[in-house]
Amino acid sequence: MYPILLPILFPILAGLCLLVYRKDLERKLLTGITGSCLVITGALVISVLALAKKSLILFYLTETLPIYFQIDEISVIFSVLTVVVFVCAGFFAFAYMKHEQKEKRYYGFYLIAFGVLNGLCFAGNLITFYLFFELLTLSSFPLVLHTGTREAIMAGLKYLFYSLCGAYASLYGIYFLYRHCDTLTFTAGGILQASPASPDGRFLLLVAFLMILGFGVKAGMFPMHAWLPTAHPAAPAPASAALSAVIVKAGVLALIRVIYYIFGADFLRGSWVQTAWLTLALVTVFMGSMLAYREPVLKKRLAYSTVSQLSYILFGLAVMDQDAFMGGLLHVLAHGFIKGTLFLIAGAIIFTTGKTRVDELHGIGKEMPLTMWCYTIVSLGLIGIPPTGGFVSKWYLAIGGLAGDIGIFRYIGPAVLLISALLTAGYLLPLTIRGFFPGADYDYNALQKREPARLMTIPILFMTILSVLIGLFPNIITDYLTKFVSSLL
Amino acid sequence: MIICIILLPIIAGILVPLLPFHKRCHKEIFLEGAVILNSILVWYLLLHHSESTFLLAHFTGDLNISFRVDGMSMVFAGLVSGLWPFATLYAFEYMTKEKHENSFFLFYTMTYGVTLGIAFAANLLTMYFFYELLTLVTVPLVMHTLTREAVLASRKYLYYSLGGAAFAFIGLIMVIVYGNTTDFILGGVLDLAKIGDRTNVLLLIYVMAFMGFGVKAAVCPFNSWLPQAGVAPTPVTALLHAVAVVKSGAFAIIRLTYYSFGTEFLRGTWAQTTVMIVVMFTIVYGCSRAVKETHIKRRLAYSTISNLSYILFGAVIMTPLGLTGAITHLVFHAVMKISSFFCAGAIMHQTDKRYVHELNGLGYRMPCVFGIFTISALALMGVPGLAGFISKWNLAQAAVDSQNPLAYGGIACLLISALLTAIYMLSIVVRAFFPGKDFDDSSLQDAHDPNWKMLLPLFVFTVFIILFGIHSQSIVNFFYDVAAGVY
Amino acid sequence: MDFVCNFPFFSILISLFSGTICSILPEKAAKAVNRIVIAAVGVMSGILLLYLLGTGESFVYWMGHFPAPWGNEIRAGVLEAGMALFFCIIMYLSMAGGAHKLFDEVEESKHNLYYILINLLLSSLLALVYTNDMFTAYVFVEINTISACGLIMIRQVGRTIEAAVRYMIMSLLGSGLFLFGLCIMYDLTGHLLMSNIKESVALLIQNGEYQIPLIVSVTLMCIGLCIKSALFPFHAWLPDAYGYSTVSSAAILSSLVSKGYIFLLIKIIYRVIGFDIFNSTRIIDVLFVFGLMGMIFGSLSAIKENDIRRMIAYSSVAQIGYIYMGFGMGTQAGMVASVFHILSHAATKSLLFIAAIGLTEVSGGSRKFIDLTGAGYRNKWAGVAFTAGSLSMVGVPLFSGFISKLLFAQAAVQVEGKMLATLIVLGISTVLNAIYFMKTVIRIYATTGDTSYPCITFKDMKVHAIVLIFFILLNIILGVNSQPIVNMIEQGLAMFA
Repeated sequence: MYPILLPILFPILAGLCLLVYRKDLERKLLTGITGSCLVITGALVISVLALAKKSLILFYLTETLPIYFQIDEISVIFSVLTVVVFVCAGFFAFAYMKHEQKEKRYYGFYLIAFGVLNGLCFAGNLITFYLFFELLTLSSFPLVLHTGTREAIMAGLKYLFYSLCGAYASLYGIYFLYRHCDTLTFTAGGILQASPASPDGRFLLLVAFLMILGFGVKAGMFPMHAWLPTAHPAAPAPASAALSAVIVKAGVLALIRVIYYIFGADFLRGSWVQTAWLTLALVTVFMGSMLAYREPVLKKRLAYSTVSQLSYILFGLAVMDQDAFMGGLLHVLAHGFIKGTLFLIAGAIIFTTGKTRVDELHGIGKEMPLTMWCYTIVSLGLIGIPPTGGFVSKWYLAIGGLAGDIGIFRYIGPAVLLISALLTAGYLLPLTIRGFFPGADYDYNALQKREPARLMTIPILFMTILSVLIGLFPNIITDYLTKFVSSLL
Repeated sequence: MIICIILLPIIAGILVPLLPFHKRCHKEIFLEGAVILNSILVWYLLLHHSESTFLLAHFTGDLNISFRVDGMSMVFAGLVSGLWPFATLYAFEYMTKEKHENSFFLFYTMTYGVTLGIAFAANLLTMYFFYELLTLVTVPLVMHTLTREAVLASRKYLYYSLGGAAFAFIGLIMVIVYGNTTDFILGGVLDLAKIGDRTNVLLLIYVMAFMGFGVKAAVCPFNSWLPQAGVAPTPVTALLHAVAVVKSGAFAIIRLTYYSFGTEFLRGTWAQTTVMIVVMFTIVYGCSRAVKETHIKRRLAYSTISNLSYILFGAVIMTPLGLTGAITHLVFHAVMKISSFFCAGAIMHQTDKRYVHELNGLGYRMPCVFGIFTISALALMGVPGLAGFISKWNLAQAAVDSQNPLAYGGIACLLISALLTAIYMLSIVVRAFFPGKDFDDSSLQDAHDPNWKMLLPLFVFTVFIILFGIHSQSIVNFFYDVAAGVY
Repeated sequence: MDFVCNFPFFSILISLFSGTICSILPEKAAKAVNRIVIAAVGVMSGILLLYLLGTGESFVYWMGHFPAPWGNEIRAGVLEAGMALFFCIIMYLSMAGGAHKLFDEVEESKHNLYYILINLLLSSLLALVYTNDMFTAYVFVEINTISACGLIMIRQVGRTIEAAVRYMIMSLLGSGLFLFGLCIMYDLTGHLLMSNIKESVALLIQNGEYQIPLIVSVTLMCIGLCIKSALFPFHAWLPDAYGYSTVSSAAILSSLVSKGYIFLLIKIIYRVIGFDIFNSTRIIDVLFVFGLMGMIFGSLSAIKENDIRRMIAYSSVAQIGYIYMGFGMGTQAGMVASVFHILSHAATKSLLFIAAIGLTEVSGGSRKFIDLTGAGYRNKWAGVAFTAGSLSMVGVPLFSGFISKLLFAQAAVQVEGKMLATLIVLGISTVLNAIYFMKTVIRIYATTGDTSYPCITFKDMKVHAIVLIFFILLNIILGVNSQPIVNMIEQGLAMFA
């Protein structure tokens, strides 16, 4: 039939069934079902990427608006990331969610979000993309407010409304793009006919800026980043991992699609929009790091870090240079794995110790050595120390930034990235240091080995290894992408 | 044929208190039968309509009461006749808890006929006549409970509607004096030679007439009757104050703009700018009030206010595309809003809860109702794949296509309103399904989904919401043809 | 000359003399005579109307065959005959509708007097309608005043006496001014017959002589008649007079007496001064402005009122404002609209008064709104009738009020300078009408109210109910079948010239 639909529809339907089924399931059965669904979906995605036909027009929404799917390199990158993070975080959740109510609901929405993300990756035109973008918001906000505390519910709603706000701002742009393009199908290099100098073009620049802002909400770009630090700590840890590693990347994906596949980089290059975008991205990079540095609560600190790191990617996109773009894509993967791991680790710490603040975690490295080793490795990755993934992506970003035709930003950009890297070290490493070197007054007698369950450690380990592998063998990815990136720019 | 369609419900309504029904179910069968029969007749008529005009009575001069089936009437009559049987079915169940059933069904069924009269009116006078009549037959429905609140609401409703009609009347006069005919002809009937240099006066009158008819369509600042009228029983609020009555206002404005004054005359004038600003303001205003409101039905009523102005926004773009958008939203919003109102009614009927903050955790007790409510909420927000997205898309495309900078702002209003819609609709959903940690639902043990008479309409409407959202091509094409004057 | 041509004279005479006869008859017989006279006059007017429609021309009737300027003239055209017929219908219905209240409201011994006054009133109205002589008109204006005063005072309650005195003073002031104007006119022209005056006036205008005295004269006459017909700033006497007199009197006073004066004014405009000359003065602008103000302020006062009959009375002020607004437009169409509104308002206002009495009856006789709550359920017919009357007042299609509004608006569009003002005030006034009438309608259907009051069914009040039905029908006929009536009015006005 339509094999490309399988990885989208299967988890959505499975999730819906879970939600609609009214009786409570035995926990083992529930986790069994969810686990197998996750694995099957993962397998489906991989096989579709490998085997299936690459495009499909499903049906026409209106006369000229098809629901259209198409798989290209970008889809591959993002769906691989999705699969890895979702499967890992899913299994992690089986252990973590023990102490939460209404697990069935969580898994249901989790599966739906998985399917929707696949749809987002495979979307072949802007309307299809927008459809899944909205669905993603709607299916992921229940994950945020899952715990049901007042704080969580408010955070969930905040996330929802920020996201919708962004989505609608982008929709405004879509309305206008539709008029100026013959189709909204994603085409490498853009499909916009108008020139930026014409009156229409000037308006379209405004539209482009609006869409950047709009989709930027999801990617936590300043000034609409405020939902991120609220939503992440409120959500259960595996949900935060998925959120931070993948779902926010939907905003990045959206910007790639809109800027490089609809507007075309040439349309924006050198315009005030690019300048503004660069400024915003850099401001976000710096501000996110600063805020993270000041933040005592671990998960919140990680959330601010996400804000900052996502804007690395956005900076890469905004430079509109091959290397920078490549760096951005690499950072999507690297940050995805790293931040996923970090949040899972934070979850594991909360699960075993119940502590949330960094300053409470003296000697945590002694209690949970394996976990904390992983933490240290990925932290180094995020800071950008070779040979981890973060180094390679930042390298490309810096190269691209220096080479890009972006005026003064050529110097400011890499500088900000560097400063931010320092700050990253500043906010991530103290935990390692305190964890492993609790100081003289630490009571070693009270020390207990509290390594979390296998279901938790294995996903953490797996993702840590992946993040290192990217750093060791980036050529696999860059080779795969080079040709295609040059076609884009 | 047309006259028979209009009279049948009126007569059936009058018969309700007169016929001796032994059992309630006999009355139900009688009414439902009459309504369904009438709907079938309407659809038969729509599918086999002829171009000819049916003259009923002569007033003075060339003013007459006459009927005709054209594109717009097909849309409106088709919509109304599609919804009425379901609403009646729903009303049977709902009214088991209310008093004075007979008088309720009397006026409820009569309204059907009167609304069809508006739909089929062939000229401005006929429409005006049925328009006034609509006010009169619906007042008793608003007043139904006879509480002080209801009396105040109906009073306000009357003042507003009759007052609005008074200003619409002035527009009617202008068309009589400066038009070639009062018949509805797409493109307008004004005779430019007669107007001479009085263009500005005519535009002023247009604005007045627009606001006059706009009272029924709840245009700001004449909207406050609508939330108050929510004291009426839910079938009334749902069908009349979300569809029949308020859409008659929008319908009348479309008739006035496209079929009497003519878009050629109005487009690009200050009159268009004025009404567009008013409409844009209403879109945002209605939504923001809805966010503040905690009474469910009133919240939905404010939402209706805003959505009605979506329709009007389409209408005042004054292009065929704009009309298409307006018609699309006219139809789609009807289905979405009636669905959400029926959900609210079901909640009130089953649990007597009427404020948003009382709904915590009800979603698990009444999954069908809240599931459907969620779908209609998403549709109203304009999530792709549901009806609301298509209508907003059409409206926005029309606005973009019109090259009118103000209309660009209008799109922004649509989107702001969509965001606010999300806030006021989803906050209900969130409350119902996510009551919070350790929520004690023992107080909700008695609440459960209503019986089939209430659920059937809900399911049918939901199916249509999804259907319109997924496959809208053929129906939108039809609307486009209507707007282009094919029918 | 056909025999029919005697009918105007006969009708005046019959009603005048029957009044005298009534004084010596027993009460029942007096009532019968009164009814028969009204009916007979009505029939005669009807026949006359048909006759005139047939011939298509008006005629002048010399009393006792003395030609002018020695003899007195009566003139009858379509409009006069139609008006007379209509007045009779309204009067008959009002009398019938208020008959059962007469016993409560008027002392037994005064019943005869009541019928006498009614007959006198009728005769004076007919005379005002038919006469072609200014002085005769003045005489009957006074007779009219006296009988009207009597009708107000006959219910001897403190307020009515005060009201009657007030009415008397205002009316006499009005007729005094009218007489004053008439004197000046006579001085200028040397004639009292309308047609003769008109010729002289035309001549004066042509020669440009005596412009100012002429204007003064016309103004005085206008003001006099305005006071008597309660145009806006001169309406202070009206609410009490209409509000506290017996119900039939109120209905007749509001729908007929003031209309008689207005009709006289129309005659003066057309037949004494000449339509075009009148329109060239500034008087019409003043009338127009006062008309508009009356429409608004009358309604505003009505809104503030919480006594149903006084509210209806104030509404009359507004409606009179409509009529003068029509005059003020200074076009044929405006005049037609005004005349139509005279009919429409007469039919509606008497309906409202009669229906209101039905409602107060079932509310313990109280006229306060608070007591009227739910009265529509207790007296269904009165409730329906009141609703119908209100809808007509608001201008809902099917009822007469809609047509008059339509005519006014159409007329307004033709008058460049006054169009916008008229249309807007028309709209506002409709809103205000809606406010106070619909408030009342909702009030009478609001709740079942105080259940201690009795319910009245059709059987208890057959006459009343039938009268109400007739009134409603009359309203609907005016509303639906307006074209022939408008034609008739146009024809009649054409005959005036």
